Amino acid sequence: MPIEIPKDKWAGSIKAITIGATSAEGGTRAKAVTVGGGTTMPYLQFEAPTPNKPVIAIEIKSRKPEDWSPLLAEVWGEAMADSAQWAKKAEEAGADLIVLALTVEDNPEDAVKAVKSVLGATGLPLIVWGPGQAEKDNELLVPISEATKGERLVLGICEDKNYRTIVATAMANGHLVQARAPMDVNLSKQLNILISDMGMPKDRILMDPTTGALGYGMEYGYSVMERLRLAALQGDAMTQFPMIVTPGFEAWKTKEAKVGEGVPQAWGDWKARAINWETLTAIALIESGADVVVLRHPESVKRIKEAIEELITA
Amino acid sequence: MALSGIQIYKMLPQTNCKECGFPTCLAFAMKLAAKQVELGSCPYVSEESKKQLAESAAPPIRLITLKSNGTEVKVGNEVVMFRHEKTFYNKPGLFLRVKASDPDIAKKVAQADAYKVNYVGMDFTLNGFAIEADGDASTGSAQVLSAAVKAVREVTKRPLILIGSDAAALDSSLSLLVNESTLIYAADSSNYESLADVAKKHKAVLVVKADSLDDLADLTQKIQAKGVEDMVLDLGGKNLSEWLARSTQARRLALKNFKPLGYPSIFFAAQNGLDKEAVYAAQAIAKYAGFVVIDTFAPEMIYPLLVLRENIYTDPQKPIQVQPGVYEINSPKPESPVLVTTNFSITYFAVANEVEGSGLPAWLVVTDAEGMSVLTAWAAGKFDAERIAKAIKGFDVASKVSKKRIVLPGHVAVLSGEVEEELSDWEVRVGPREAVDLPAFMKQALN
Amino acid sequence: MEHLITFTTPDQNSISVKSQTGMLLSDAAHLAGIDIGQPCGGQGRCGRCAVQVTDGTVRRRSALRLSPADIEQGFALACQTVVEDDVSIYVPPQEKIERRLTTDRVVAEVTVPADYDYLSDQTVRRIHLELTPPSMDDQTDDWSRLQTALRLQHRLENVTCSLPLLQKIGAALREGEWQVTAIVDLANVLQSGESDRPVWLIDLQPGHVDEYSSLWGTAIDIGTTTVSLWMVNLVTGEVKAQAAEYNGQIARGEDVISRIVYAGKGNGREDLRQRVLDTMNVLLEIACKRVKAKPEDIVKATIAGNSTMMHLLLGIPAENIRLSPFITGVNHLPVMTAREVGLSANPEASVDCLPGVASYVGADITAGVLSAGVDSAEETTLFLDVGTNGEIVLGDRDWLVTCACSAGPAFEGAGVVNGMRATTGAIEEVWINSETFEPTYRVIGGGKPKGICGSGLISLLSEAFITGILDKRGNVNLMATSSRVREGAHGGEYVVAWGAESESGEDIVLSRVDVDNLLRAKAAIYAGFTVLAETVGISLEAVSKVLVGGSFGKYINVEKAVQIGLLPDMDWSRFEFLGNTSVKGAYLALLDWQKRERITEIAKRMTYIELSADNTFYEAFTSALFLPHTDLSKFPSVESALQKN
Repeated sequence: MPIEIPKDKWAGSIKAITIGATSAEGGTRAKAVTVGGGTTMPYLQFEAPTPNKPVIAIEIKSRKPEDWSPLLAEVWGEAMADSAQWAKKAEEAGADLIVLALTVEDNPEDAVKAVKSVLGATGLPLIVWGPGQAEKDNELLVPISEATKGERLVLGICEDKNYRTIVATAMANGHLVQARAPMDVNLSKQLNILISDMGMPKDRILMDPTTGALGYGMEYGYSVMERLRLAALQGDAMTQFPMIVTPGFEAWKTKEAKVGEGVPQAWGDWKARAINWETLTAIALIESGADVVVLRHPESVKRIKEAIEELITA
Repeated sequence: MALSGIQIYKMLPQTNCKECGFPTCLAFAMKLAAKQVELGSCPYVSEESKKQLAESAAPPIRLITLKSNGTEVKVGNEVVMFRHEKTFYNKPGLFLRVKASDPDIAKKVAQADAYKVNYVGMDFTLNGFAIEADGDASTGSAQVLSAAVKAVREVTKRPLILIGSDAAALDSSLSLLVNESTLIYAADSSNYESLADVAKKHKAVLVVKADSLDDLADLTQKIQAKGVEDMVLDLGGKNLSEWLARSTQARRLALKNFKPLGYPSIFFAAQNGLDKEAVYAAQAIAKYAGFVVIDTFAPEMIYPLLVLRENIYTDPQKPIQVQPGVYEINSPKPESPVLVTTNFSITYFAVANEVEGSGLPAWLVVTDAEGMSVLTAWAAGKFDAERIAKAIKGFDVASKVSKKRIVLPGHVAVLSGEVEEELSDWEVRVGPREAVDLPAFMKQALN
Repeated sequence: MEHLITFTTPDQNSISVKSQTGMLLSDAAHLAGIDIGQPCGGQGRCGRCAVQVTDGTVRRRSALRLSPADIEQGFALACQTVVEDDVSIYVPPQEKIERRLTTDRVVAEVTVPADYDYLSDQTVRRIHLELTPPSMDDQTDDWSRLQTALRLQHRLENVTCSLPLLQKIGAALREGEWQVTAIVDLANVLQSGESDRPVWLIDLQPGHVDEYSSLWGTAIDIGTTTVSLWMVNLVTGEVKAQAAEYNGQIARGEDVISRIVYAGKGNGREDLRQRVLDTMNVLLEIACKRVKAKPEDIVKATIAGNSTMMHLLLGIPAENIRLSPFITGVNHLPVMTAREVGLSANPEASVDCLPGVASYVGADITAGVLSAGVDSAEETTLFLDVGTNGEIVLGDRDWLVTCACSAGPAFEGAGVVNGMRATTGAIEEVWINSETFEPTYRVIGGGKPKGICGSGLISLLSEAFITGILDKRGNVNLMATSSRVREGAHGGEYVVAWGAESESGEDIVLSRVDVDNLLRAKAAIYAGFTVLAETVGISLEAVSKVLVGGSFGKYINVEKAVQIGLLPDMDWSRFEFLGNTSVKGAYLALLDWQKRERITEIAKRMTYIELSADNTFYEAFTSALFLPHTDLSKFPSVESALQKN
């Protein structure tokens, strides 16, 4: 007895957005990365093929982070002290994109230099995050934006209290922005509206709905992403942006990943658990619609890459 | 179809007699619409309304219960595709597969049975074990299976899944499991008749397996015709994408009241290798599986999977909360200020983002206010001096700071006196009412 | 081509000027030395520059805000209309224009119910008695003598009174030489229809007081923020004086929760009781002075107010109102006397506290529902009472649901830096020129501004948003080039009036925190009624009337209230502004015992819905915490207004 499989017909779709520009496109990247474009809930190949697979960004810092888990220090080694080296190693580890996170200690000159050196060391498209303090972000990101005009970087992180300066400089220099709202469908959409109202082209916004790590509020991010995706497919233009999330940052903050000693025996082997924590946070978010996941450990990258390959096969 | 409160109200007597325990018929109707009360509480409802209301309430996915003499696991009864639409009700059962021929079977099961991990005050364990009859008939698989079942039953009280295709072997093993509800894996088009008989005889639940949803639906109907009501689906699918598609399709069909697929499903996480087991299990948990079977007893994998399951099956209608605790913002030092707020996520983010954005270091103490904002929690008595003091003491904030001074949200300025009484060695300061004014306050008032 | 334009001003002066084809009427008026106000900067947004073309033809580029009938009568917007011919133009007075505009709503005036009949509707009556003087043959006691007269002359069989009154009776009877006027409350008899029910003797006055001279009653609404009082002549039903003042309890907390907490400590309960009584008694004194009466002349008071206010007025512990499961001490109160309550009135005056439904839906709403007529509506009606707590009622004559949400006092002008009540000196309307960001405002009473009232805040918020001073999240756009947009103590702010023009000499501003308060207030109301409608499965489109009560001010611009997302974007004709519906309901109950009975029925019929039970309200609230709303498609008229700008 043949069953008629119910297929959802949607009015809207996710915008396809290209990060990075090759020399032909006015930049210096070896190749650009396109994400988004989906027309179904994630990976429902029986409704329509996934046009662009989700990608993995590896997060590196402009200065050697002192507070990262020893497990990460062990795997990245000396490269952590040199962002160009680190970026190169990240590319070898399978990254599709690099996230360069700046720190409060950086001055504009250092920051521009760090960005340039990363761009020189790898051909991957680049996402640059300010240190997360309004004034400092603006102080660092504006000169970076100007010095890399045409590269189609993603500049971040825009939040509803501080978005104007970053959006303005991204608009003027042909970059994209990462728009972050705290785990709420409405707040995400509101920020997208505010950024669009400034005249930012709609193919230059990545939305970051914020997530928690597994066990630390991941489910809220999970549902927010599902809801944003549903709203986008239903035709709500202000939610049709590809989503970027940071499971690496979130997972490696947790005690489960960070701490090896003095924890319950029932938590099992430290390293395997830490990698599982990052991997499972990431896979759940991919299932709920993430287009870019930012990770930290090469082993998680490898496993997520394999999962993505499976998910996008028809 | 679900009816709205007003629609149900129109089927009720509309006398506001209060005998149901609600102040008006409309109040009762809305509780009915939300499935929070039974229609039986109304003594005066007409037979016709009763019939109409019952039809709108039948669950689209059958509730399946596996039972042993120790514990039980319930799956199914789900009503939505996405957890935000309502909630996912019954967490998938996590089972560990062991081979009947494994000489260490009792030891392995005993170890896994004892596994217990605590997550925010809740103890999680595995839900049961799947015993696979792995010998072939010629080596006396029936005896091997029976021996394994006996051995396992001696070390665990949890429900079991028996994996095998030999009806006689399953029959004799099930005879050992009196008064239990066991899951049999699996009936296919070649053996369903004999397995259905066994399932019926032992009141067992039967997994049904086929290569396509079409065949699966055919088979469940045939088995149902043989008198077996409790079934579980093995949807097949050779990789993540295919299984996701089938699981989604089956759920959709079931929610559209397509009864032949209105059963929970079972998924084997290690089917494509142990290196993929965790990721496979994660997808199955997120995407509608009723039972997830793993092959590896590894706490470093089981703990995150159990947490994932808890997260996905948390009721999303409850306000978004953050974990109560002490949050470090901008690498605080002992002399940095201690700010207090509640664990409603929006409140937490409003405060954390303002402070983070200012670059000023601080300790942010998040109290357990049952997920309410400062004002709401205070109004409801969930954010008072006692609770604040309990948080400060409980999280041992004093050990982290050199200056014992806490800053209360301006909205609860009235609490400052009581907090001083509760925390006599602390200086209590009242901060601004709005998070947006925090940075200025921290710069001016706290130095 | 040159044309002759003749303007006639409101004071009937005629001035003529010559102008070229294509000149704007506003420019021509300027040439003629006539000042036509253009609050929006001549962009055809506000409609304030409407003039009437009495002769000749003009070309209207835009006729926004004018009805077809207006255009028929020659009305045109001076800033959007060009000269093509010799024309005569009448410049009407500003007030008249505002009455015409399709967006403006004037709060309905109070009128005595057409069918009010003192003798059948009023429970308090003044009756004349003639007693037979006592003698040695008839040594009946004074009280029995009085009772007999009441029974025989007025068929009142069961009259009771208080001890203090009893102490006065003998003197009154003798002073009036056995002719006296009794004031009685017949509520029990009228409600039951049985003549043996107790009748309360309020007063006994010597002699025969003119039966139709004023008999005073008062209707009072105790708001969390504002107390309003009407002085009513019970004989004619007329409201002879109105007075309002901030509730004296504000000094002990702005919202009901603060008050409840305060009441729970030490002498708090008594302090709050005294504070609100002081406010009421001061208002009574003011109102009495206005009508040349004495407080003792007040013989009946009907009081509405939210459940907390009612408890605090009567000194009833209110703690359980705020704690789950949110239970009041009492919803239906017995009739009391002014002496018991502590009201400055005749000590025996009946004090009738109206019934409430639940902790957060009190007598202010049951009274409001009565005055708004929701309980008898044929079609689905939405009633919003916008106060410190926003209460919402949805329904018709068959069903009524209600909910409450905490809006804060912003729309009453409280909790906002330069907010004030809608009285003299309050800015009640603002327009902002979108090119220069210069505002034009109107002040109640016409003098220097002291602050901004609710309607002014709605208007200001909307203008600041439409002109781009605020982004949709309410952030002040500091990139805007105007000295009025600046960094203030609480982030960005906008200066509405410079110190030089204000009463206090200080700048009147809209601060970031004010914007947040207003956004929260409007979002709570909007979320409240959308969630309420959703809960019972009614779509907003199915609502045929939206009745709005509250103390914003006298005029409300519907368009502005929609632009900020306080009200749903629907046909403006569906909105009605009713002002303070609570005091109006109390007034109706004061006059007519049958209406008073209807309030009891309403209180029993209303189904209260608790909004905080799950996430739905928060969701709706956050999505409404945006200008006008996160889902702009719900506000098509605002979308097109934004596109025009």
